[in-house]
Amino acid sequence: MLYSLLKKDFRMMVWGKFFLVALGSFLLYTLFINFGYLNFMEDNADSYNVYLYDPDGAFERVSPLVYQAASEEELDAALAKDAGGGVGIKVEAGRPGVLLYAGAEKVDRHRADYALSLLAGGSAYTPETAGDNTPEMKQRREITCELLFIEIVAAGFLGIASVLLKEKQMGVIRIHAVMPFQRSLFLVSKLVLFLLTDLVFAVLMTLFNIGLAEAGSILPAVLVQTAILSLIMALTGFWCTMLLKDFKQFSLVYLAIMLFTSTPVFLAANTSIKMDWILYHPFYHVYMGLKNAFFGWPVTNPVYYICAACAVVLLFGVALAAFRREMGKEGL
Amino acid sequence: MIEVKDLTFSYGKGLRGKDKQALRGLNFTVGDGEIFGFLGPNGSGKSTTQKILTGILKGHGGMVSVFGKDLRSVHTREFYQKIGVLFEFPYLYANLSALDNLHYFSSFYPKEQLRDAEELLDELEFKKDFRRKPVSSYSKGMRQRVSMARALISSPKLLFLDEPTSGLDPSGAVLFRRIIESERKKGTTVFVTTHNMLDADLLCDRVAFIAGGKMVALDTPGNLKEMNGNHSVVVNYLYQGRRGEKTMEASELKGGVPFPCDELISVHSKEPTLEDIFIRYTGRGLS
Repeated sequence: MLYSLLKKDFRMMVWGKFFLVALGSFLLYTLFINFGYLNFMEDNADSYNVYLYDPDGAFERVSPLVYQAASEEELDAALAKDAGGGVGIKVEAGRPGVLLYAGAEKVDRHRADYALSLLAGGSAYTPETAGDNTPEMKQRREITCELLFIEIVAAGFLGIASVLLKEKQMGVIRIHAVMPFQRSLFLVSKLVLFLLTDLVFAVLMTLFNIGLAEAGSILPAVLVQTAILSLIMALTGFWCTMLLKDFKQFSLVYLAIMLFTSTPVFLAANTSIKMDWILYHPFYHVYMGLKNAFFGWPVTNPVYYICAACAVVLLFGVALAAFRREMGKEGL
Repeated sequence: MIEVKDLTFSYGKGLRGKDKQALRGLNFTVGDGEIFGFLGPNGSGKSTTQKILTGILKGHGGMVSVFGKDLRSVHTREFYQKIGVLFEFPYLYANLSALDNLHYFSSFYPKEQLRDAEELLDELEFKKDFRRKPVSSYSKGMRQRVSMARALISSPKLLFLDEPTSGLDPSGAVLFRRIIESERKKGTTVFVTTHNMLDADLLCDRVAFIAGGKMVALDTPGNLKEMNGNHSVVVNYLYQGRRGEKTMEASELKGGVPFPCDELISVHSKEPTLEDIFIRYTGRGLS
């Protein structure tokens, strides 16, 4: 019986081009990470050019990263042409003065401090390296985690809706009301397929974007977090599909979820913006669970897993009740 | 097979805080192997009754027994294995073919009670070259045939049919009536909900009229017509080259034509239709 349901749902997903869209997303994300994001981050990570005009030679041990200008005009011209936030230093009476085109206040301070630090020739400190993550690997882990999170939220929620709304419109859900089978199997079959798809997606994303050598150690934890998020999103999507009339209403709810759920989570987790209340946001913990899994620090607190299991059980009950309600709606 | 006593049902609070009472104390029984017609206009409570009998709606008042057991305790897998339901609309997976739909829905039943899908489609005169094409390419009549096959494929002991001939051409309707009759001959009990007076008249052993959640009449179509008929006839004739028409009691014709005429053209009884009788009982039409 479950096999029949799985087979039917698989065919519905093929018919709805779900696998094609998932494959397209995977290719797009992988190309973006490898040929777009990393290149952009590399460019962005370049230090600012520093130009020095020191007519009296007051600074002798300047860093080789500094470009010497022969005249004040040359210094001005170099700054005018520099599109990467270059900084100029003009030495007068042995005192360095900083010249720059204004940007953001905090960044400008950083630019000035960095430029002045190069006048001393080099740092007296040798920083200790924490972990064996290269900046590129850190970027790979972070962006892969973000894109996987977005994909699962979208695929679980919108994907299940696209299949289920078709069944709703065809009226076939009502036939299941008079079929001799356990109603929960209808839900289980869809969950199994979406979960498997999400897990395969997570494996591919990790292998292709983190690399085989690194993926082996983080995959188990990544798959556990993917499974938690996948089940939560698929059940939420199932429940909303039962309650909402059509795909338009569904899209609005999706927008609201992205706006109020994912946006604050991304801002709190990936930027310097501080939001104390974010600790009460369940998706923050799910996202951080996934992110930590990608960085090799899986969640070990059992409370997290107990809460996740409770959320899945609760959503399953709510979705099943909505399904039973939908079966009895119209049609006899 | 089915026994209903004082059946009530309400859909909860309406806009003014009052219960929307859909059924107000229905009483009827349906015997084994009987074709029972349930007739009523839209909103009369037919669908609600059928939903309760098929276990889709819960929370009814009164007593309903199906297969000799109280309905509140029979909605198990075993109960659904014994019933077949044809819905008002031909609900099918549009991306699957007729055969795929039948194989999918039949997979919920024990194999020993299943009929062969191809044979069933043959019986329903479903075109062979369409059987493996997606349902989205079918006409409404073709979908209705596949839906009927879906309802019959599990060899149900109790068959619920909602507007069975809807969407069919006249020859399709005749075929469906023949199939329903042959199901009855096998011992299947059939509960038909319909607006179609011809179906009710030709198929049903007994019909129940329902209006405003109450049952207003229950009898065989013949008895209902007899009780509500006036036994008069209309005679068309020719006399001295002119056509004439007279209405008289049928008994007046016993001793021959009681008026001068050269030729009798036709004699029609003025028996009322089921719809006439329904309107007489309820003051409302069926559609």
